Amino acid sequence: MEMVVVAPPAPGRLEDLRRRFLATPLQALLSLVSLAVMVFLAWKLLNWAVFAAVFTTSGGPVACQAAAGACWSVIAARWRIILFGLYPFEEQWRSALACVSVVVMTVLSCIPAFWTGRRIALVWGAGASLYYVLMKGGVLGLPYVGEEAWGGLALTLFIFVTTCLIGFPLAICLALLRRSDLPWISRTTGLIIDGVRSLPLISILFTFAIVLPFALPQWLQGDKLYRVILGSALFFSAYQAEIVRGGMQGVPSGQEEAAMALGMSYWQRISRIVLPQAMRNALPATINQFVVAFKETSLVVIVGFFEILASGNAAYGTGDWRFAYVEVYAFIALIYFVFVFSLSRYGAYLERRMAVGER
Amino acid sequence: MNSTLPSGPAVRIEGLDKYYGSFHALRKINLSVERGEKIVICGPSGSGKSTLIRCVNRLEQHNGGRITVLGTELNDDVGNIDGIRREVGMVFQHFNLFPHMTVLENCMIAPMIVRKRPRAEAETTARRFLEKVRIPEQAMKFPGQLSGGQQQRVAIARALCMQPQIMLFDEPTSALDPEMIAEVLDVMVTLASEGMTMICVTHEMGFARRAADRVIFMDGGEIVEQAPPEEFFTSSRNERTRQFLSQVLGH
Repeated sequence: MEMVVVAPPAPGRLEDLRRRFLATPLQALLSLVSLAVMVFLAWKLLNWAVFAAVFTTSGGPVACQAAAGACWSVIAARWRIILFGLYPFEEQWRSALACVSVVVMTVLSCIPAFWTGRRIALVWGAGASLYYVLMKGGVLGLPYVGEEAWGGLALTLFIFVTTCLIGFPLAICLALLRRSDLPWISRTTGLIIDGVRSLPLISILFTFAIVLPFALPQWLQGDKLYRVILGSALFFSAYQAEIVRGGMQGVPSGQEEAAMALGMSYWQRISRIVLPQAMRNALPATINQFVVAFKETSLVVIVGFFEILASGNAAYGTGDWRFAYVEVYAFIALIYFVFVFSLSRYGAYLERRMAVGER
Repeated sequence: MNSTLPSGPAVRIEGLDKYYGSFHALRKINLSVERGEKIVICGPSGSGKSTLIRCVNRLEQHNGGRITVLGTELNDDVGNIDGIRREVGMVFQHFNLFPHMTVLENCMIAPMIVRKRPRAEAETTARRFLEKVRIPEQAMKFPGQLSGGQQQRVAIARALCMQPQIMLFDEPTSALDPEMIAEVLDVMVTLASEGMTMICVTHEMGFARRAADRVIFMDGGEIVEQAPPEEFFTSSRNERTRQFLSQVLGH
């Protein structure tokens, strides 16, 4: 007799739901209660954020405060302060364009087609100089705006991108030095890395912004903003150096031996064989470090810079909109979310892309 | 090869000493390898055979004696070391292919960045040698997608793409499943028949019989005995050699 083996029919979607949530009376009760609570919370949130909310500035702060829901009018009224800080009102289009140039530069340098030395240098060179000229002005008929007036999202992006641009190559140098065969080089580097990591970022920013000018000659000081960026890049690189070093330890020693046996020089071995594999190993931790660095830009408020969070404080803190801080923070949280979430998704894409050779 | 060769042996090793800390890994080794000669080095594990060939391209630094490769002495001169490594190919036990590059890129990278060959020429050379090791159809795959035997053949092709004058093999079949050993040995026999200078650390005595000009037995960091394969297998004089041979050939 012939046996026909048939797989049991897959349960339909409704049947599946019933089995998961309504198997016993108690389970059914718990499921229903949970569902009710969730619907209730979702309704409350939606009602606050959308249905009972005020979106226009027509009624002014007073009408807005009287409404039962969220007062989004504060964003409509004050979004320029949040995004551009103290930047002169008539010139804020420059700040907006500068933001766009930083974002475009970052997005371009994330595309594999731009990963050659010349193209990436071109993108960064063009993006950075465009940002600088737009923000600072003083040329091409643009009125001069000093760094102390930069603020909001434009400043946050600038600090983040420059921190990474300076900190990342520095991290690779530190990681390589720490791996050196010469004990005095590796030990000194280790001491620097561990030293920087032992200090809070706030104290480093404070030192670079306030204390350093007393120690340095005038011509070496530069603007406070650039000293702060240097401090933040140093802090970033100390952490990132250890991440890179960890990634290098995951590359089998046979890889470097094979490269040596083929006659490759130290820099060829590092740049073509070791680092590409090390960076793949280090990718999840690296994305993490970028995310942390993005959020830590908010600490520059301690030395008097109005990055986006501080600008947000200013947006609701003066006068009529004092009650609307939740809405302002929700808006800023949304901006942070957009940037950090994109960063994470990009990291996931990179991981998938790099996993090709691992199969 | 097309370059003008200085006369003299391909490799000359005189009074070579190598220590790992206080462990004396190689003791006063003397060995001369002629151009076109095929040498098989065998011996129990820990006898120093891998260390010996790794000294030839300076993956290990020797502590005493002289190593002269193709007329150039190996010393601390980085230029000498790089020059010698360009002319000496090596195949490893664990293949050591670059996992982040395709098979083709594995074969092209060194000719391009070390020998500064144009891309098109490097690709032509790479495809020719992949053909030679009989896996031209795998060129666009990544090493992780190949079997062990295929990976080792790619590793041989990668070394050959540098058009070396000497090839070193460090137990090339020890990490392979039995059914894949033959395909790698076939490639090595072909290479030997074409006159490549080869120094092979291997326990494949069948290969030694077919391809080697001379078999060297090492034990305890010393060369115990060396002879042409026929003589080595049939009438070795040394007790340690006979014992080792009975272990390797016994099964």
